[in-house]
Amino acid sequence: MLRRILALVKKEFIHLRNDWWMPAFMLFGGALELLAVGWATSRPMTNLPLMVWDQDKSAASRAIVVSLENTGTFTLEDQVSDMDTIEYALDRGKITAAIIIPPDYSEEMASHNGSPSLAVILNGAESIPAREALRAIEGVTRSIGEKIVIERLGLDPDTFAGFDFSLRVWFNEALSEALYSTPAELGLMLEFTVLLFAALSFSRERELGTLEQLLVMPFSSLEIMIGKAIPVIIVGFLDFVLMLGMIHFAFDVPVRGSLTLLMILAFGYLFVELGKGMVISVISKTQHQAFLIVMLIGMSDFMFTGYAAPVEGMPQAIQFIANAVPAYHWLAIVRGILLKGSGLDVLWPNVLALGIIGIVIGTFSWRFVRRNLD
Amino acid sequence: MMNNGKPAITVRELTKNFDSFTAVNAIDFDVYHGEIFGFLGPNGSGKTTTIRMMLGLVEPSSGTIDVLGTRVNQGVGDIRPRLGYMSQRFSLYNDLSVLQNLQFYGKAYGLNKEAMEQRIGEALEMSGLVGRENTQTKELSGGWRQRLALSAAILHRPEVLFLDEPTAGVDPVSRRAFWDLLYKFVAEGITVFVTTHYMDEAEHCHRLAFIQRGMIIAYGSPEQIKHEKMQGQVLEISPSDSIKSIKVLREAQQEDRLQVEEIELYGSLVHIIAVDLEEKKLLVKEILGQADIDIEQMTIIEPSLEDVFIASMRD
Repeated sequence: MLRRILALVKKEFIHLRNDWWMPAFMLFGGALELLAVGWATSRPMTNLPLMVWDQDKSAASRAIVVSLENTGTFTLEDQVSDMDTIEYALDRGKITAAIIIPPDYSEEMASHNGSPSLAVILNGAESIPAREALRAIEGVTRSIGEKIVIERLGLDPDTFAGFDFSLRVWFNEALSEALYSTPAELGLMLEFTVLLFAALSFSRERELGTLEQLLVMPFSSLEIMIGKAIPVIIVGFLDFVLMLGMIHFAFDVPVRGSLTLLMILAFGYLFVELGKGMVISVISKTQHQAFLIVMLIGMSDFMFTGYAAPVEGMPQAIQFIANAVPAYHWLAIVRGILLKGSGLDVLWPNVLALGIIGIVIGTFSWRFVRRNLD
Repeated sequence: MMNNGKPAITVRELTKNFDSFTAVNAIDFDVYHGEIFGFLGPNGSGKTTTIRMMLGLVEPSSGTIDVLGTRVNQGVGDIRPRLGYMSQRFSLYNDLSVLQNLQFYGKAYGLNKEAMEQRIGEALEMSGLVGRENTQTKELSGGWRQRLALSAAILHRPEVLFLDEPTAGVDPVSRRAFWDLLYKFVAEGITVFVTTHYMDEAEHCHRLAFIQRGMIIAYGSPEQIKHEKMQGQVLEISPSDSIKSIKVLREAQQEDRLQVEEIELYGSLVHIIAVDLEEKKLLVKEILGQADIDIEQMTIIEPSLEDVFIASMRD
């Protein structure tokens, strides 16, 4: 039995070696994706292009432009003198924001009861940079506003302090996007990799016509399933270790909890996804079909994981379904162990849920695949 | 080799329904030890379904199949090591080398190291692939691949070898070489069950069954089948215009001027099947003469299985 399983495993690895893009995708696809996501999200957004139409051309108007530049959020793209240029640039997505300073700006600033104003146009088609730009502009205008109030009240700006709060962010001190996005991305990439690899295991042989041959050989269905599962687990685990190393060393994602616990749970999670993949594999007649089903499941799981939008903000029914999605619990575990340093005492509901889902999927998969192979 | 007079394979009342469609309809046949048994029929006649049921890949709707004394739907797992199978589609792994494929088969069937080395050597010799062990299988041409697939299928020396359309799409020379190999195996005592839709290959079988629309319409040795199924003789005509000849002869047949069983085009020749052909020879000559068709040659010949099957399919 062992020898036959080993023969199958060896055959699977020969396929992997000959079909080089497949293992390359399995091992490095996820890591590359993480690298891209990490880089894209690791630094706060800077150098957003800003266009200014300064109708006032005073010291005060220049001061506000300099203040905006000093936030680091903006780069002054151009000083213009008509609306058409701004519209043109916005239409083509060349700028994130435009500021129009009215001609009476400095006058209103200086007057005792003036109300200086500013027109801001944001490129809402790209909401994330737009939000970032808004935050920076609000910051700058608030501090100018405070200054005006203090001056008009005749107070001493050095001794007067307005409302302030002290901020402390837990688990992700710098509120770095990378710290949030890369562990989530890692969890998802692992799901995709394992699901796809497992889904191709039988569909590939069926498409090529070799599955029948395998079935008339003296392999039992148990032997075939084990032989197909071992390479998936090995490659999946390697992929996981590689991706974890990548985010740890490249993006300083900490491992605050127990690495051993994370490894053990990753190993368990691999089996859950393997079970799903095997079912997809036996119901698919071609690799193409298997691939499409994996995409469909992967994309819908993605919505339930809370990576794109928090699950807590979704309708009750969706939150309920999310509990049945293994990736939802897996992502909670990954984030918990890496960022919060949580142990089983905190994560047990997720581990238990994953365990129950795993047993259900595993049992179903085992029976279903076996029935299809016999 | 187990051979106590019992057939190697016994099939009784075997039926397979797919929804409302009956693919195989209550067929019976026996395959004896050490023979090449041909399972013939046009595409879609139920050949592949039958062979897949015999291998336990498809569950029969009803009926029984016994292979080597074991009921297939109960214990096919136990006899799998004693069976060999080469499917209709290429059954080896394209991206594995010749040697890797053979090694995989050897290990799957539990050959030990010595047996493996020896058998692989023989297999390479047999398929003519000595020196090309490390070639990826997909780089071999059709005929080589078929021979390699066959060598792999018998690597573990099965007692019964199942071949599903093994020569489909293979050139005539390779087909001939393939059949020579089959004869060699049979001489070694292997029982061969082969499906084909090539009529000329049917003549190579010891015994055969002809299946059409899920039913066996002829069963026995080629001679028996010819004898039983062929009422009449075959007149082979070599006319100057065979297409026109068929047309005028069929017209004559429809108008009842020419009473014959069959008029068929056979390459550039025309075959007429009828009883008392000697008497009808003159009439045929006259009909063709009226249509200004010259007859180069006209002889009564031994019917081929093709004639027989075409005749019986018309029934």
